[in-house]
Amino acid sequence: MEFASNFSDQLNVGLILPEGIVVATLLAVLIGDLILGRRAARGLPYIAIAGLLLSIVSLYFYWDAENPTALLGSFSGDDLSIIFRGVIALSTAVTILMSIRYVEQTGGALSEFIAIMLTATLGGMFLAGANELVMIFVALETLSISSYLMTGYMKRDSRSNEAALKYLLIGAASSAVFLYGSSLLYGLSGGKTILPEIAQGLAQVEGGELASAIALVFMIAGIAFKISAVPFHQWTPDVYEGSPTPVVAFLSVGSKAAGFALAIRLLVVAFPLEQPQWRLIFTALAILSMILGNAVALAQTSMKRLLAYSSIGQAGFVMIGMVAATQAGYASMIFYLLVYLFMNLGAFTGLILFSLRTGTDQITEYAGLYQKDPLLTLGLSICLLSLGGIPPLAGFFGKIYLFWAGWQAGLYGLVILGLVASVVSIYYYIRVVKMMVVKEPQEMSDTVRNYPAVRWNLPGMRPLQVGLVFSLVVTSLAGILSNPLFTLANTSIENTEALKSASTFLEETTAQNKEVSLADPMAPAIVEK
Amino acid sequence: MLSALIWIPVIGGIIIGFLPNQLAEKSRSLALVIGSIILAFTLAIGLQFDPNQSGLFLSESFSWLDQLGLTYYLGVDGLALPLIFINSFLTLIAIYTSSTKLARPRFYYALLLFLSAGTAGAFLAQNVLLFFLFYEVELIPLYFLIAIWGGTNRGYAATKFLLYTAISGALVLASFLGIVWLTGASSFDYDVLRSQVLPLSSQIILLLILLAGFAIKIPFFPFHTWLPDAHVEASTPISVLLAGVLLKLGTYGLLRFGIGLFPDAWNLLAPYLAIWAAVSALFGALAAIAQKDMKRVVAYSSIAHMAYILLAAAAATPLSLTAAVAQMISHGLISALLFLLVGVVGKKTGTRDVDTLRGLLNPERGLPIIGSLLILGVMASAGIPGMAGFISEFIVFRGSFSVFPIATLLCLVGTGLTAVYFLLMINRVFFGRLPLAFSNLPAVPWSDHVPAIVLAILIVTLGLQPNWLVRWSETQTASLSNFDTETLAEVRPASRSLLQPGQSIKESQWWRSL
Amino acid sequence: MDLAQGVQFVSFIILAAMMFSAALGVVLLRNIVYSAFLLGAVFISISGLYLLLNAEFVAASQILVYVGAVNVLILFAIMLVNKKEAFPALGRNWLRGGATALVCVGLFALLGTMAISTPWSIADRAGVAAEGSVIKIGKHFFSDFLLPFELASVLLLITMVGAIILARRDLIPEEPPESGLTETEAYKLQERPRELISVGKSESEDQS
Repeated sequence: MEFASNFSDQLNVGLILPEGIVVATLLAVLIGDLILGRRAARGLPYIAIAGLLLSIVSLYFYWDAENPTALLGSFSGDDLSIIFRGVIALSTAVTILMSIRYVEQTGGALSEFIAIMLTATLGGMFLAGANELVMIFVALETLSISSYLMTGYMKRDSRSNEAALKYLLIGAASSAVFLYGSSLLYGLSGGKTILPEIAQGLAQVEGGELASAIALVFMIAGIAFKISAVPFHQWTPDVYEGSPTPVVAFLSVGSKAAGFALAIRLLVVAFPLEQPQWRLIFTALAILSMILGNAVALAQTSMKRLLAYSSIGQAGFVMIGMVAATQAGYASMIFYLLVYLFMNLGAFTGLILFSLRTGTDQITEYAGLYQKDPLLTLGLSICLLSLGGIPPLAGFFGKIYLFWAGWQAGLYGLVILGLVASVVSIYYYIRVVKMMVVKEPQEMSDTVRNYPAVRWNLPGMRPLQVGLVFSLVVTSLAGILSNPLFTLANTSIENTEALKSASTFLEETTAQNKEVSLADPMAPAIVEK
Repeated sequence: MLSALIWIPVIGGIIIGFLPNQLAEKSRSLALVIGSIILAFTLAIGLQFDPNQSGLFLSESFSWLDQLGLTYYLGVDGLALPLIFINSFLTLIAIYTSSTKLARPRFYYALLLFLSAGTAGAFLAQNVLLFFLFYEVELIPLYFLIAIWGGTNRGYAATKFLLYTAISGALVLASFLGIVWLTGASSFDYDVLRSQVLPLSSQIILLLILLAGFAIKIPFFPFHTWLPDAHVEASTPISVLLAGVLLKLGTYGLLRFGIGLFPDAWNLLAPYLAIWAAVSALFGALAAIAQKDMKRVVAYSSIAHMAYILLAAAAATPLSLTAAVAQMISHGLISALLFLLVGVVGKKTGTRDVDTLRGLLNPERGLPIIGSLLILGVMASAGIPGMAGFISEFIVFRGSFSVFPIATLLCLVGTGLTAVYFLLMINRVFFGRLPLAFSNLPAVPWSDHVPAIVLAILIVTLGLQPNWLVRWSETQTASLSNFDTETLAEVRPASRSLLQPGQSIKESQWWRSL
Repeated sequence: MDLAQGVQFVSFIILAAMMFSAALGVVLLRNIVYSAFLLGAVFISISGLYLLLNAEFVAASQILVYVGAVNVLILFAIMLVNKKEAFPALGRNWLRGGATALVCVGLFALLGTMAISTPWSIADRAGVAAEGSVIKIGKHFFSDFLLPFELASVLLLITMVGAIILARRDLIPEEPPESGLTETEAYKLQERPRELISVGKSESEDQS
């Protein structure tokens, strides 16, 4: 009896209740579709959204849990994971809103699509809390395989097929590299798979620097693939171009958030001693992503590709917080991802709405849209300007916070590069806004001239409208009223034991063996007074 | 009270923007009402001002984002008050002079009001991050105002303006981040930052970044290329606002943040800044001579006149700083008047080309009142006694001559050139025989004269009663230049120790012995 | 070195040589069917190596999954496609080959150095042998690897669903949807295929 209660304590299954809700929703969608049939299954997407929102609500109840470790250490339900799981679930909920009409109009099966998307969400949520190598890998694969499936969902479109195949091949290779890195960690730490234990195991090994460096590089390569950081971004343009637009939205928000969650947890908890090395690698990734993402976005003529490249650049901004490797840095990443969720998904909703109504996504075709569809113009403009970091929209505050955290950590060059990159990004975002808002009625494109009357009561249009208005409102107000979000991001980092213990672990180890004497770039610049 | 200056136009702008279609024509009247309310508020705030006291006489502070050090801290002192007045006043004038048959009036007036709110916020902000926020807020409305209601090449000009100003904003932000981090201050509040002490080397670096940022906005010589384009393409009311108010954001930033936050570095760089001012003034004047478009002439004259502010700020004597503020006010009014009148000429004749226009002063069939007012404006700009321009330029040179004689003399040459290029323009456009092509100009309605006459009266009044021009900021600028006095040693003991031992602040200003 | 160790060593050499030569054959032979069969040989040799490591469960699943399923699938695919196509010879092939070889040898050297120089902490190998790996794996699955094990079931479910979706033939409904959306020409989504994918046609034509 005592054994049983002890064991259930260790299992602590309650912590994964939010994921349980997602699984239940997933099964409900699949089985509901089977039983009710295509026609009656119209309500299933809303069930999925309800399930996701319920899951977010249940996350709230585990905020600041006393014992954040579940299932014998393989899952960690600390506040860091809770906020990332919330971001992922929320991004899926908004993505489902925009995919209902899209999938139906392109002739796909909607409920299976939603089931696959829910699985991807499940993988992402587990990834955000995974605390153990096997768990990380399985969750990563759940996310990846569902993403491959969604990418190839438009199977009658050869570009979608091509995208899926490319994504599958490159993704499988990067998973293999990641797995190789994890196996090295397993060997180095003496057969440990739980992250904090790996860190301890690594600290005890003498002479394993080469192996741990290779493990580090391989694992970062796997993560960088997920967040599509340059130079691991080659799959992005083709995949974003070919896959269905809602999938692109999910890949650029939910999937990226999961990747960042993994990056923070894995690197901070398992590689505390290699902090200078991984900060260096991420500096390079951030620099390349910001430069390449923004520079290539300048030349795009298709809105979808523009958003694809800009999301590479945005990931570069977020990586500044990762390089800072301070509490403020992680908190600013979370804050930025929170606002990025709304502004990016808002932009994608606008893009989908436009391409549903007109069948194109060329930027020049947006000319003069304000005449025909003011709401879409307003929503898309606000979201794009926010992505460009124009005050007083949400993106401005996110960027300021990231830059401020980076500056505090002494990353002057990176922050200045970020400032320059955001000036560049303003240019290409404003190009689209200019097309929509500035063009005179006589300069209107033919597409817009033939623009159908705006009818929100068509099936599947209402969710798009809800998604657009919701993102619009949040993007415009979340900046000015951002104090709760700031507090949320900061407390989640402060309450997370894993990050704290990792930093104390780093201090202890460096204090113990002075001769190792890590060059500590975290130390604030000392002002000679 | 102060928030009202920001939030009344914002809320008004939102209301105008969402007016139903059938009420769209009402948006102009509504905007006029809102503009008048703002001006009334500004005057009410001005009435509470006591010119003998330095420091903020009104302030508001709320915490906003503590983790970032961003507080909603507004305040107004003798430096900001005249600029806020100019902003409210010129906003009203801009709304009034906007065409009644404008395309998309709701969007236009909403943007104008947002612009006014952003500018007022920047002048009021007592937190550098808040200043930066407002500094960037005005970017997008102005972009649209140029890009939608501008001339033929408006898209190019607007994008150029946007990029230059965005770069300027990035540089300013970098400098602000730098000062807060290097001093380890707990927030971005201006008074907190002022009490911090920085080593000279970092001050110089940060000041250089800040200077580059504001120099784009003002603009000074090598960074000026966006301004003539923007002026030429923008419609008249927007030119008025751009020259009258928005450029002042840069000079205001120089005085408030350049001198206020980096006094020691400012001291060190001052001689170079004075030379820069002289170069910029001469360049602006010479370039203005070569222009054929009346608006371009005024735009380049604007570059020349803004350089005097840099000269005065570089000298940083109490008198010259007062002069800098006075020059900002008088340039704001004069350039607004000039752009207004050039705009009327352009609208009535259909061209602004100096070579085409002739004899517009013809009392029968020309534009006699407009012409007379323009001559008055030109005289004020050239510094003819009896007008605001004379007073401010005189004290600029009077205050700076003792410190930088050569640079001041060069700037004086620039003033002389002002007379040259403006007289060239006036001579061609208004004198001579009125060609037939312009002989049947539509009459200028009385309502078009009103804003110009109001501005002209203001210019003459301030010229005859210079105390009203100077009184506002005297005390405040004196306190800003306090690093120049002996009290510095007590207020900022640490900055003394930065200098070599035994060397007093006075002696460190080596150029003064020249 | 006693007899057991000797036998182990010799078997290792044989298995490694087998795997190595088969792998070289997979890469170097021109005929794809040979390559596919040799791949099976590689998998079998690897499972032999697993047996040497006392991992009989992994060895068995290696044969069942890789040889029995994956490799057979590859052969099916080859037979179904079965199309001879003459590829134009690429210029400077030796350069490409050389560069590839250089990168691979470099990577191998790096990983080899790492494997030799690192002091791996090899702990309780004896326990595995005594208990048998199946039992050990089973215990892990239902204790500390419970969550990944359960998650894998969801993963398998959705992979199956996805495979069916990708493979099944879609019936395009005859009756138009009740909305007026598909009536106009402008409503054609860009994701709609411009033409059906024809087998054997080069991708680049579709791209243009």
